[in-house]
Amino acid sequence: MAVVLLLALSYGATAGGGALRGEARADAIARDIRCPVCAGLSIAESDAPAAQAMRLEIRSRVDEGQSDEEVRAYIAAKYPDSSLRPPTSGVAGLVWALPVAAAVLAAAGMVVAFRRWKQSPSRPLTVEDQHLVDEALRR
Amino acid sequence: MNGAVGQAAVLLGLLAAVFGAVTSIAGLIKGKPALRRAGHRYAWVVLGAALVGGAAMERGLLTNDFSLEFVAENSARSTPLLYKVATMWSALEGSILLWGIVLAGYLALMAWRFRDRAADPLVAWAMVTAFAVTAFFFGLMVGPANPFRTVAGAVPLDGPGPNPLLQNHPLMAIHPPMLYLGYVGFTVPFAFATAALVTGSIGEGWLIETRRWTLCAWGFLSLGIALGAWWSYEVLGWGGFWAWDPVENASFLPWLTGTAFVHSVMVQERRGMLRVWNLSLLVSTFSLTILGTFITRSGVLESVHAFTESPIGPALLVFFGVVVVLSVGLIGWRGDQLRSPGAIDSPFSREGAFLANNVLFAAFAFVVLLGTVFPLVIEAVNDDRISIGRPYFDRMTMPIGIALLFLMAVAPMLPWRKASGELLRDRLLWPAWAGTIATVVAVVVGARGLAPLLAFGMGGFGAGAAVRQLALGVRRQGWRGLVGRTNGGMIVHLGVILVAVAFAAAQSYGERAEVRLRPGESANVLGHRVTYEGSRTVDYPNRRSVEASVRIDDGKAYAPALSTFPNATQAIGTPSVRTGLTEDVYLTLIQTADGPEGPILLGVNVQPLVVWLWIGSGLMALGTAMAAVPSRRRRPTDRVSAHRVSDDDDRVALVVPAELATDPDAESVGAVAASGRS
Repeated sequence: MAVVLLLALSYGATAGGGALRGEARADAIARDIRCPVCAGLSIAESDAPAAQAMRLEIRSRVDEGQSDEEVRAYIAAKYPDSSLRPPTSGVAGLVWALPVAAAVLAAAGMVVAFRRWKQSPSRPLTVEDQHLVDEALRR
Repeated sequence: MNGAVGQAAVLLGLLAAVFGAVTSIAGLIKGKPALRRAGHRYAWVVLGAALVGGAAMERGLLTNDFSLEFVAENSARSTPLLYKVATMWSALEGSILLWGIVLAGYLALMAWRFRDRAADPLVAWAMVTAFAVTAFFFGLMVGPANPFRTVAGAVPLDGPGPNPLLQNHPLMAIHPPMLYLGYVGFTVPFAFATAALVTGSIGEGWLIETRRWTLCAWGFLSLGIALGAWWSYEVLGWGGFWAWDPVENASFLPWLTGTAFVHSVMVQERRGMLRVWNLSLLVSTFSLTILGTFITRSGVLESVHAFTESPIGPALLVFFGVVVVLSVGLIGWRGDQLRSPGAIDSPFSREGAFLANNVLFAAFAFVVLLGTVFPLVIEAVNDDRISIGRPYFDRMTMPIGIALLFLMAVAPMLPWRKASGELLRDRLLWPAWAGTIATVVAVVVGARGLAPLLAFGMGGFGAGAAVRQLALGVRRQGWRGLVGRTNGGMIVHLGVILVAVAFAAAQSYGERAEVRLRPGESANVLGHRVTYEGSRTVDYPNRRSVEASVRIDDGKAYAPALSTFPNATQAIGTPSVRTGLTEDVYLTLIQTADGPEGPILLGVNVQPLVVWLWIGSGLMALGTAMAAVPSRRRRPTDRVSAHRVSDDDDRVALVVPAELATDPDAESVGAVAASGRS
């Protein structure tokens, strides 16, 4: 079973991949650009005229042979604050780093908790506990 | 008149809530049960007031009473009946009124359900908390968000009507009420949690009392979110259903913490552990509903500095702060008593898996919250504006989602306390095969990419586990094997898996294209033949629509439309969708033709498996309802697990019913045994 699973996964994950070209590459870039006139959508998803115009701009640059970085840089310069993908550096980079830090802390916390639980002996039943149970049952 | 009646009703509601709280507190402090019972009665006054207020608003909307500012600003004579009714929740003040009505309903239900125990301090304090929350919302309506304000000067003859997007689809009539039933429903468990902290009866009693309330709120919230996604798909015309928009995130956040709670609560019931954690989850869920309302209703999204422009923003923020500070204070105050004696012996146990589930859900909620509020923080700190959208959320939540699917498969197979490797191998064998087969089938039908394939594989794995559980239950108990918390929960799991698989497929393999067609022309787009037959203009009471007739694959004709509403400058598109079990073809009219022979610009979205999102959501709701049906065993508060062996023998014996003894997955053996300290 493991072999079948690994084979299927590795084939499925790699086949048909490779670098995107033309339309697909333009689309991948457009997905990261915020549509200036609609709330929360990328220009790849919006039919607004402004979004269509921006898509065309990206497409023509892709067809000219510019790299992804070049196109992104051009868009960022022409339309400031239009990226839906927050920057990875500076204060804003925290938005990427904080969840990772939190995940590491949580994992460490779990390890510590399980260690402690393992060491703590179970407490014996006290007279007080016994009393509480009796009282609960008498009700 | 509607204004005066509504105004009076809202004021009455506020007074009744305040009196209810004060009377109950007085009864608690002076130790007079009669006063506590009297406090209960105010709940009915609040409900009456809320219903009168709602009726006054609806009457105002239906009779075109434009002397009411809310009606004048949000309705129009030409608005169709259904949308007139729904206009109540299409803008801020009316939606607070809906909130008030739902809250009053829950309050009255609480008073009714616990009418025999009105003198119980736990119930009385819960009522005090619920009254206080109610007083806040009615206070909002008396003050900053008054839905019954009358227009200054001459009464207008007509209004602009609701936002065009909100009068475009009947789902608008049910999505917000469902969402509010969920949102507001979490007030009840929150009230009981607060009561437990105040009275010091922090055992498991309050949890069991509110179990079904929580489930009910969770179910409605799930349904509300799903309906919202469906509305977005059917109306907004971008082909998607979830955009990680702040409004969506605001509803998703309490769902995440609420989901964590309905799982970890089982550890507390069973083992008496995780008390602080569970209380924190409930407090988070409730306060996130308030924070979400603040984020979406205060104008803070346009700019951090805009929220003070409407007085409701600061009011909600202050309320949020009060809730958090009071709750954290109470938890800290009771900290000593909350420490539980138990220990989780092994990570490979049911409780260990629930803990992992909780960490993942908390991480999920953290990511969503961070992504939603971070742009506001950045703007407040250094006046920079950044956007955080789908690329961020997709990237960050995908691993968490896959890990959750994995847990969903393994956790139900794990026994409490400790699992042996042998047992796990035995139980996981065929779910694992189901996962493998799902992966292979996905690859064979052409699915590519590691993340979606993992999602499909884990989905198959989890579905295998859930089906195995249900099959065993049915074999043992007949149809009763489908009800009760564990079995109903498995049905919910199946629904979640359908949603997750459909989500992964649609997000990963959805494609869109645009095509320009003249009447009579056809084109092959994304594997489908679309034929444009012509357009016609139709006048509706509230809009003028241009509808294009487009055949898909020479079959039925579909009619994507572009509508102009009198109150909007931009035309609003209405998509037309051919829904299928394997894929949806989604047509949008992007540009209408200039003349009768001119070309239209047609948008075509092809996305696989979308329909399973709605089927899965329905299954989740069904499973929630079945989880609320009591399973045969007993009422949770009955003491079946421990009873005295004989009258003259003071020892207590644990008597485990035979069916429990043979069923390692059975529900809690009994809360009494676990909660000796309550």
